[in-house]
Amino acid sequence: MSKSIYELVDQLPQGGLTVMVLNALDFVIPGQWENTVGFEATIRKVTGETDQGLIQQIGDRAVWLFNDKSQGYQNALWLYQTVDATDSALGAAALANKVGEKVSFLGFLNKITPNPEKAQALDLSIKLVAELVAFCQINGIPGDSIGDFVASLADYSGESLMRMTALVCLDGLIPLGPDFALKALDFIEQVSPKELEQNSTFSKIKPLIPGQGVAGQLEFIGQSVDSVKGWMTNFVAQRDLTPQKLLGQLRGFMEVSEDKLDYLAAFIDMSTNYYEHTGIQTLAHRLIERAVAEI
Amino acid sequence: MLKKFQKLLTLALVPFVLWVSLSACTPQPPSRFEQAQQESTQRGATAVVKESSQGAKFNAFFPPVEGDYKRIYTQEKQGFAEAKLKRAGKEVAVLAISDVLNNPAAVQKFQTSSLTIAGYPAVQQGSMATALLVEGRYQVKVLSRDASFTAQDRKQWLEKFNLAGLAALQ
Repeated sequence: MSKSIYELVDQLPQGGLTVMVLNALDFVIPGQWENTVGFEATIRKVTGETDQGLIQQIGDRAVWLFNDKSQGYQNALWLYQTVDATDSALGAAALANKVGEKVSFLGFLNKITPNPEKAQALDLSIKLVAELVAFCQINGIPGDSIGDFVASLADYSGESLMRMTALVCLDGLIPLGPDFALKALDFIEQVSPKELEQNSTFSKIKPLIPGQGVAGQLEFIGQSVDSVKGWMTNFVAQRDLTPQKLLGQLRGFMEVSEDKLDYLAAFIDMSTNYYEHTGIQTLAHRLIERAVAEI
Repeated sequence: MLKKFQKLLTLALVPFVLWVSLSACTPQPPSRFEQAQQESTQRGATAVVKESSQGAKFNAFFPPVEGDYKRIYTQEKQGFAEAKLKRAGKEVAVLAISDVLNNPAAVQKFQTSSLTIAGYPAVQQGSMATALLVEGRYQVKVLSRDASFTAQDRKQWLEKFNLAGLAALQ
């Protein structure tokens, strides 16, 4: 049986590479994200309630809502988990580094295959679309509502904003450079439906992507990237973000060299699961918000 | 002598090792939410019934905003709609309407409360929420998200909903 929502939130890691990388991105959105772990702790944080009876009622209702498949929360979880499915063996090996010592991804170089730019651009685009679809599933907005999603990005905060920040930084800036959004769009225009179908992440999440057939889905992905391009470009420009600044932060706990950015991107992709981690936090947040209003 | 010491040390360590391995094997106590988990995963269990009103129908009854305030709709589901209330860019409260058909237990708290707001049965729930009940069917709730948003603010914002319109909703 799949895990309950309280198990998922209770079992989120307090530390490890994913949390270290996300904390390193705090300088981009200062104070926006804290790693809230535990279902009850999340209830207290979201609602401000401390009354045990109320916490019980809120948690019970959230559990019911999550388990009702018609409500879309499980689809959202599945999307967050699926786009983040990584080579956990490598991640586990990285985490086996002694506490306090820098994580040396250089030691894994022979096990890492960097993505060609085109594949990286496709990955970024697919993650972006997964975010859009998960947003619609969670909030109850029709699944192809690009406009609603783009409008709501301005209001993204907390763990959702951190997920977008990580997407921009780790799947955009580091592997593709400062003009990653334009690059992604250019590459998407060159991708054929057949190539898209060969992408393993796409082939898994395909049933939830809007669009008629793979060609229609490819068009939807292109439209989504095009619509979010402005937000991503502004996000980077307003904060004057560069791959070098990101490296500076990651060097706090990771041995990184500037000429191996594509390897670094692949390493982070393989050894972290920031999408699933923050996705579970978003999901818990929204469920609890609804539960406290319904009890 | 050394061997004897080693033997003694080993014997002394046995209870400790046993204790450590036993505690490692002790299963986690069941979660306080386990009963809800079991009940809600039974065949045929649903959190939302199809008879409940569409959340989209509720949006029209939310209070209008002006000045420093901004209202952002966040969730719109079967039997539920919710919006954030921001003041000067900061989230201060959440406004929500829900159909109690999806959670009939929500009605009980109104039955034991003597409070009314705008003529409707109302209740202060915990330290952060105030709710009222329209026509025994629709729960309207304002939840503080910031200490500056007081119980008095919650009451005022509840009064700003189009409650008569909601009461007429079929």
